[in-house]
Amino acid sequence: MGDVTYDLIIIGGGPAGLTAAIYGGRAKLRTLVINKGTVGGLVNTTREIVNYPGYGQISGSDLMKDFKKHADSFGAEFSRDEVVSVNFAQEDKIICTKKDKEYTAKAVIVACGSEPRLLNIPGEKRLQGSGVAYCATCDAEFFEGEDVVVVGSGDQAIEEGMYITKFARKVTVIVLHDEGVLDCNKVSAERAFQNEKMEFVWNSTLEEVLGESNVEGVKIKNLKTGRSTELPCQGVFFFVGMIPSTHFIQESGIGMDRRGYIPVNDLMETDLEGVYAVGDNRVKYLRQVVSAAGDGATAAVAAERYIEELNAFSTSVLKSDKKVLLLFFNALNNESLEFSTLLEEANQELSEPYKVVKVDTATKKNLAQKYDVKIVPSVVVLDRGQEIKRLDYSMEKEKLKAQLR
Amino acid sequence: MSLEQLNANSFEKIIYDNEESCLVIFSRKSCHVCKEVVPVLEELQLQYRDRVGFYYVDVEEDKNLSQRFSLKGVPQILFFKDGEYQAKLAGAVDEDKVIDKIAEVLES
Repeated sequence: MGDVTYDLIIIGGGPAGLTAAIYGGRAKLRTLVINKGTVGGLVNTTREIVNYPGYGQISGSDLMKDFKKHADSFGAEFSRDEVVSVNFAQEDKIICTKKDKEYTAKAVIVACGSEPRLLNIPGEKRLQGSGVAYCATCDAEFFEGEDVVVVGSGDQAIEEGMYITKFARKVTVIVLHDEGVLDCNKVSAERAFQNEKMEFVWNSTLEEVLGESNVEGVKIKNLKTGRSTELPCQGVFFFVGMIPSTHFIQESGIGMDRRGYIPVNDLMETDLEGVYAVGDNRVKYLRQVVSAAGDGATAAVAAERYIEELNAFSTSVLKSDKKVLLLFFNALNNESLEFSTLLEEANQELSEPYKVVKVDTATKKNLAQKYDVKIVPSVVVLDRGQEIKRLDYSMEKEKLKAQLR
Repeated sequence: MSLEQLNANSFEKIIYDNEESCLVIFSRKSCHVCKEVVPVLEELQLQYRDRVGFYYVDVEEDKNLSQRFSLKGVPQILFFKDGEYQAKLAGAVDEDKVIDKIAEVLES
């Protein structure tokens, strides 16, 4: 068990994680990216990216190499490993990996992306590599002159389907929707409709992959009529969407929707303090390289400020030689501003036995939560980090002084 | 340490003449899933030194080898023992699956 401490640990090395690493490294945070497999994540599967600003056209893996190089240049560290469990209950977050490492970090960014969804139909798993496939670039050539079925109608399904037509005799696309409706972008849809090798089966889903040792056909179910038909083919490519790879984090108590996406606010903060979720792991509208990168930047900056606050609080409050009056106030609330002045005066008139530290509850919700402060103004009295009492609220200076003596 | 690459001749010699207990990953350079699986094998081969051979076949350079086993995709890891094909693993497999398969077909 190696015990290693970082400021910021980023789980996942796709565009969101790598961007977070660039910002983390540049902010001089000790930053580690834990990534299984090749850095770049699912972007590596994209042959051509034409909508990342500044790059007219680039392959996914080349773009990710540039991201990685950039993160390296700012001093981010990388480990090829897989996170198997986490403990986010304490201020120091603990991360355990498959290679038996235990890391701790002040802040964690969850950026582990998503994986292809399986339909879990009979034959799908058994015939993988024997006709069932998930990657056209990898496997299309094995189907030279053969009949192939593609399941799904999103960007990936249609674009990969068209790539397969370069090799296959015919590509039949199984589409859930009514005739003419595809989930992919319009340009790809038009191209697909014009492609002579592409055929479409509408209102349908796949029920079973047939074949003994190799794929020999598929069973297609029409959702409108409920009728099943068999279609002979030698290959089936599944592109039925992605699911977030957030299973290892489920036990941590982090808030997640039922599909495994993590809801966050504008700062990419999850409902756990110091834990952020970005890119394909969060609930969001657009899932592109550019938006993933934006998430990574936001989360890293939010994490940096959070860590700064932790450090500042630790030196000025928890390690203070003097007793501390921790004053929770709200800058928008006049009463709490007046009380703040009064408290300072009372302290001065007693020749300053206390150090007064003001906490704006509007921006430092974490602290308010930590000390269970629900109303402002409130004062918690600390001696070397330990709470010794709370002051009763009063706008009479003498009553305050009495409590401070 | 990278895996030793086999061509049609060395494949014949190692698998059928020497009857080595070994695994062979069929892969191609443009395959992103292969890029995830190959490093797993590279790391694992150290654990099995002198017991199990770890080899690599590029399906573009040696098409006839993948045809011989009628493979319909990469990556696939084929397991051989006593000069005979034993089993295979397809797709994005992790370390544990490879270890289990080695125990099951090569070391049983």
